[in-house]
Amino acid sequence: MLEVKNLHCSYGTNKVLKGIDFRVDQGEVIAVLGSSGSGKTTLLRCISFLESADSGTIRFGDFEKDITKVKRSEIRALRMKIGYVFQNFNLFRNMTVRQNVLEGLVTARKMDKKEANAIADEMLGKVGMLHRADYYPEQLSGGQQQRVAIARSIAFRPDVILFDEPTSALDPELTREVLNTIAKLASEGVTMVVVTHEMSFARNVANRVIFMENGVVVEDAPAKEFFENPKEEATRRFLRTVIEEAAVKPGQTPETESSK
Amino acid sequence: MSTRILEILISSLPKLLLYCVKVTIPLTVCIYAISLVLALILALVQVLNIRGLKQFVRFYVWLFRGTPLIVQMYIIFFGLPSLGITLSAFPSAVIAFSLNYAAYMSETIRASIESVPKGQVEAGYMIGLNYFQIMTRIVLPQAAKVAFPTLFGSLIGLTKDSSLAASITVVEMFKVAQQIASANFEPFALYCEVAFVYLMLNTILSALQSYLEKKMTWKTKN
Ligand SMILES: Nc1ncnc2c1ncn2[C@@H]1O[C@H](COP(=O)(O)OP(=O)(O)OP(=O)(O)O)[C@@H](O)[C@H]1O
Ligand SMILES: [Mg+2]
Repeated sequence: MLEVKNLHCSYGTNKVLKGIDFRVDQGEVIAVLGSSGSGKTTLLRCISFLESADSGTIRFGDFEKDITKVKRSEIRALRMKIGYVFQNFNLFRNMTVRQNVLEGLVTARKMDKKEANAIADEMLGKVGMLHRADYYPEQLSGGQQQRVAIARSIAFRPDVILFDEPTSALDPELTREVLNTIAKLASEGVTMVVVTHEMSFARNVANRVIFMENGVVVEDAPAKEFFENPKEEATRRFLRTVIEEAAVKPGQTPETESSK
Repeated sequence: MSTRILEILISSLPKLLLYCVKVTIPLTVCIYAISLVLALILALVQVLNIRGLKQFVRFYVWLFRGTPLIVQMYIIFFGLPSLGITLSAFPSAVIAFSLNYAAYMSETIRASIESVPKGQVEAGYMIGLNYFQIMTRIVLPQAAKVAFPTLFGSLIGLTKDSSLAASITVVEMFKVAQQIASANFEPFALYCEVAFVYLMLNTILSALQSYLEKKMTWKTKN
């Protein structure tokens, strides 16, 4: 359904994506893993045209084009079908929770107010935030803000939702509530791409895992296979460090390499 | 205090208040309205990065912030007639003040627009809004809240600065105070009295500012 081929992207002279092939099919839940700086965020941003790529092609349904030649009107049409959940929520601060959800329906899609309100109620109910519909973002906890941001994205029923580390700004308690919300959407068949550092989420919720390193996709495998039988040495190394990190109890600092 | 001074103060107060309402306030409102609109345009030209125009705006801001207001007024009122453009005092003051205040206020507005986090704009794009919708529904409302205290400060500054118009013969409240003072030879009493009227005027404006700021929060009361 959504596919990019040979995607290159750089910030100035810093080449960040070096030929990414990436594809999402209808109903898939893809976890994107990779160490910090490997280009995960940049990948999502290029797909959403928040960053302009250097080269590559994008296909979305029947639409296929050189990613550098997509016109402004086409970008807007594509964005109408892509949901994006930001690491730091980015709820509109001047609008209530309900207005945040309504905005994409009423202002962007010219939907009838009454119909839109019904959808907003349904979506806020789904993420468990209906009781805070008249609150402003700054009156909510991070986890609550992120669930509203999810409601805002699913409200217009995008074909795919991109999540960029939706829980990394949250403490463990709030992380769980947001991940549960995302897992619930996954079980409803919503197509999504989730950049995450939460291994249990990748393992239990995703169908497929993509591992990135240094701007390339190193491994792309079904979730079970990825964790139980990784093919690449880099993946094994990554999984090992992740498991070691998880073994370090909270509050305890891991020993540094040099101290050995 | 001698009864004579008291009588002068009491008898001059209605006249001062009359000119406050009749000239100082209209002058201030006129200038403020014009400079606010002008400042918004100047700020948007810079934010939207309109080529050519942007350089012009930077030049404009540089020029009008870099020269004294009273000199600008003198150029317009006393200087332009020698080029064949003669304006009476009140419009001269309005023009000079508006051009000057717009330069300052445009910087306030520009900075407030730039203070809105980029993530707000990106979130707007990702729910399908276009640039115009993002500006009018997200960026400008948020920028307005940031700019409000400073812009209101400009209004308070303007009520006081409007007294400078006296120097190009505009008969506003301060000019009237000058006239009464020189007629009665009581400058100390009269200038203190007119200072008091400005102070009261701005006390009311400050109260209005606090009230409006309270109304502008993005919090639900419960
Ligand atoms: N706006 C930017 N300007 C310049 N360089 C950037 C910018 N954003 C990211 N980079 C660089 O691009 C590289 C990839 O960044 P990216 O944010 O895509 O990594 P990531 O995989 O999302 O990392 P993390 O897990 O820390 O979020 C990094 O080296 C980073 O320094
Ligand atoms: Mg990132």
